[in-house]
Amino acid sequence: MDKMSSRIKVLALLVALMFVALSTRLWFLQVLATTQFQREARNNSVRFVYTEPLRGLMYDDQGHLLVANQESLEVRVNRDAMGSQAEAVVYRLAHLLNVPVRALVARLQDKRYYSFQPIPVAEFVQPHVRDYIAEYQELFPGVDVVPTSVRAYPQGRTAAHVLGYVGPIFAGEYDRLKNKGYQQSDVIGRSGLEQVYERFLRGTQGIQKFIVNSNGETIRALGVKDPTAGDDLHLTIDLRIQRAAQRELADELVRARLGHDINGLPLRANAGAVIVMDAQTGAIKAMASLPSYDPRWLVQGLTKTEADYLYKSPSAPSLNRAIQLGYVPGSTFKPITALAALKEGFATLGGYYPCDATYTHPGDKSGTVFHNWTTANLGTMSLSDAIRISCDTVFDRFGSDFYFRYVQNQLSDSGLLLQNDLRGFGFGTPTGIDLPSEGSGLVPDPAWAKTQPTLFPDGWVPGGDILTMIGSTYVMATPLQLAQAYSAIANGGHLCRPHVVARVVASDGTVVKQPDDHCNRMLPYTPGDLAYIRGALGSVITSGTAACSFSGFPTSQVWVGGKTGTAERPPHQDTSWFAAMAGQNPNAPKYVVISMVEQGGFGAEAAAPIARHVIEDIYHLPNNGQGGCAVGDR
Amino acid sequence: MDMVAGRVWADERRPIRHVDWMLLLLIVVLTVVGLVLLHSISAATPDEAAFWVVRVMKQGATAGFGLLVVVLIASFDYRFFKVYAGFIYLAALAALVLVKIPGIGATDPSGVAQRWFAIAGIQITPSEITKVCAIVMLAAILSEIRAPEPALHDLVRVLAVAAVPLVLVFIQPDIGTSIVLAAITVGMLIVAGTRLKHLLILTATGLVLIGLSFQLGVIQDFQRERLTAFLDRANAPEDASYNLDQSLIAVGSGGLFGRGYLKGTQTNLDYVPRQHTDFIFTAAGEEFGFVGAMFVLLLYALILWRAIRIATLSKDPFGTLVAAGIASMFAIQMFVNIGMVIGIMPITGIPLPFLSYGGSSILVSFAAIGMLESIHMRRFS
Repeated sequence: MDKMSSRIKVLALLVALMFVALSTRLWFLQVLATTQFQREARNNSVRFVYTEPLRGLMYDDQGHLLVANQESLEVRVNRDAMGSQAEAVVYRLAHLLNVPVRALVARLQDKRYYSFQPIPVAEFVQPHVRDYIAEYQELFPGVDVVPTSVRAYPQGRTAAHVLGYVGPIFAGEYDRLKNKGYQQSDVIGRSGLEQVYERFLRGTQGIQKFIVNSNGETIRALGVKDPTAGDDLHLTIDLRIQRAAQRELADELVRARLGHDINGLPLRANAGAVIVMDAQTGAIKAMASLPSYDPRWLVQGLTKTEADYLYKSPSAPSLNRAIQLGYVPGSTFKPITALAALKEGFATLGGYYPCDATYTHPGDKSGTVFHNWTTANLGTMSLSDAIRISCDTVFDRFGSDFYFRYVQNQLSDSGLLLQNDLRGFGFGTPTGIDLPSEGSGLVPDPAWAKTQPTLFPDGWVPGGDILTMIGSTYVMATPLQLAQAYSAIANGGHLCRPHVVARVVASDGTVVKQPDDHCNRMLPYTPGDLAYIRGALGSVITSGTAACSFSGFPTSQVWVGGKTGTAERPPHQDTSWFAAMAGQNPNAPKYVVISMVEQGGFGAEAAAPIARHVIEDIYHLPNNGQGGCAVGDR
Repeated sequence: MDMVAGRVWADERRPIRHVDWMLLLLIVVLTVVGLVLLHSISAATPDEAAFWVVRVMKQGATAGFGLLVVVLIASFDYRFFKVYAGFIYLAALAALVLVKIPGIGATDPSGVAQRWFAIAGIQITPSEITKVCAIVMLAAILSEIRAPEPALHDLVRVLAVAAVPLVLVFIQPDIGTSIVLAAITVGMLIVAGTRLKHLLILTATGLVLIGLSFQLGVIQDFQRERLTAFLDRANAPEDASYNLDQSLIAVGSGGLFGRGYLKGTQTNLDYVPRQHTDFIFTAAGEEFGFVGAMFVLLLYALILWRAIRIATLSKDPFGTLVAAGIASMFAIQMFVNIGMVIGIMPITGIPLPFLSYGGSSILVSFAAIGMLESIHMRRFS
């Protein structure tokens, strides 16, 4: 028994050790680490249910609906949740949706999604598909059919580049966006206005908070916040003018391909852009770019062909050529450089200037010769006539004047008169339009020349200024920059910031954002000089390089002024330009119309007829004229 | 001897005068704590408002019946069990065999284990009863060894007797009760004076057998996952780690003073699976915090102290060994169950004595208390 009682103490000791172990662990869990577990307990039981808001709508300036919403039953597949059955599920789903397995697999292999992120594989499915999947859910693990609100485009392709499109949030973006209240399954504006006005259009999602038990059964609601629909955009776009611009551009591209370049090859006329801008306000009334795409493809889910066309094709249909690319502007630049020459005193309203067949910079020993577009010597002429017939050599001479001024003032900024004047017109920097990825164009200057040693081995040379004067070779401008500059000429020297949205209106009717004065910058050109240039532009239509293109146009009803441009772009065919202004009042024309056709030949050949027809459409005039004329400046 | 004094002395030795009231009080307090926790766990079950009433009433009735069992068993002289130890033991083995026969034993809903008899709507779990029967049988054999230390052949005999029910329980499969049976055997061997060398050999053999059972696939995958989840919480399969995760969150979120009665979200919202049975300690930990958890531990400590005290007070080796076996049983159940809940022991289906919901477990615990009382009451006679 003695042995036993000592052994009982051993048993008691073992039991005591058990209590020490348990107490120590409890102290750790409940006292030292309790904060973490309390947080985990909280996260455990509160569930958030988000209700997506309806995205804001877009209207044209008359209240026509441009972008709306529609219901879609969307099939989403969570690859992780399919598990080992993946192959069978995809096969069943393809059969059910009546699509090729390969097409379904292609959508599931989209690298832009995380593997745990549900990928939309079919849109606008029939309700019976939803019912079937719900009934046989065990055959479709990871497959969900969810009602979603998607974009609708009542006007089809109209203004596709301006309106933009929405798309899912991709892998890698979500980390940045989740702090802004986005869910993995949300869509976000991907281009155009959808992108720029995302924060207005999106609205605020509704949140319902619930306490749930481990089965997900709701115990009670903690609070509800209803979703707020996104704000509506009221655009400056005029649906009628927009359609006209698109139609005329498309028609002209087809027609221009019947013509030939100076080498006798058929014109490719592969792309083009048209801008109609209210010259007095900077409001964009129409903006067209071809090639284009149908935003409805993105709503229905891109097929492989559509995706390849949209994102991989060299024709770059998603590019908005009206604002995103800089082009050599050619002679459309001359009215602007003419104003600069007038301002600096190199040209005067009463002056006469020789329009020789060639021009050589005084004192230049390099043998560089600048040719006019014609080999004939046209004698001396006024600045107005130089614009009317687009004489290069008159402007070449002013280029030399600017170059001499540069040489005299190399050390100060005042040597760059031409470049400063052009920048004053808005060239070289984005205009600030409320559309994404705007191009800057290029104003060549000595600093830029230094970065181009192959083009300028000796630094800035007279040719830099001379070629810029005629809008040739190096200088680049987007069609929108030209529209902005021509508007300033039209409205008496106000530089107006182009814009597409007139106002943002909340779902309750209050105006959230109404952009302030867009025309608050005044350019340093006298009204007399501006009126003189407008007069010169008018003569281009009546008796100048665009006279043929505008023959029969009722200028007595609607005054039109304009300038052709033919920009050499080797090895491609010439870029065809026309920059026009039109209105009942020749002293304050209401509209500026810019048209541009890539590889379209002469300015008068492809671009001018577009501008003419658009102006006719704006003013309800019958479409007349024989179309393009393969004549005019080079 | 003075007759009067002798009568008084004889009267003093009457068993009824030596009830361990403290032990009974502790049991009653622990049972009430169990009913309170059960109420909290069951009260918020969303669909059935009166669900908790049914559970608490049923458990309370079982406990009341348990007190009757205590009185009944305490009224027998414990030495009576020594006489019938062989029959008791064989009856338990027979029950363990019968429960495996299809049509007689009932299969649990998972369809894996076959562990109980369903008699008139009451589940009777033979493995629970086996624990007490094994204690009686082992105590009967060990108490007959006259030498201060059991010889090797005695040990082999004892181990053979212990191994039969252990294996039968293990193949049910009921790893939890197997562990309890093993711990009871070791506890009783320690008290019986087994030499340290033999104890070490026994421990080593046990470890090898455990290792082999894993290697040879005797332990099934679902058991292995549960058993090892506590070792590597992050990489355990989800359903294996879920129970442990939720359990740790419940206990850990209790903090020092707990979240308040009926205010624990883990408990009220049903986040801890099997909370009313194996994981009932989580409710104490969450709603009453460290202080409440320590109070429950204190109750167990006092009960074990009483049991070990009874082992020392017993006037014969059989009583000492039975009390030591019962103490080992309560200690290992408490330690493995709470240890499992707080993540330092593998997940095994061991109920927490007097707290876990379930008839057989409660009744066997009360029966064990009855035996302790019987030993305590007859320590002078």
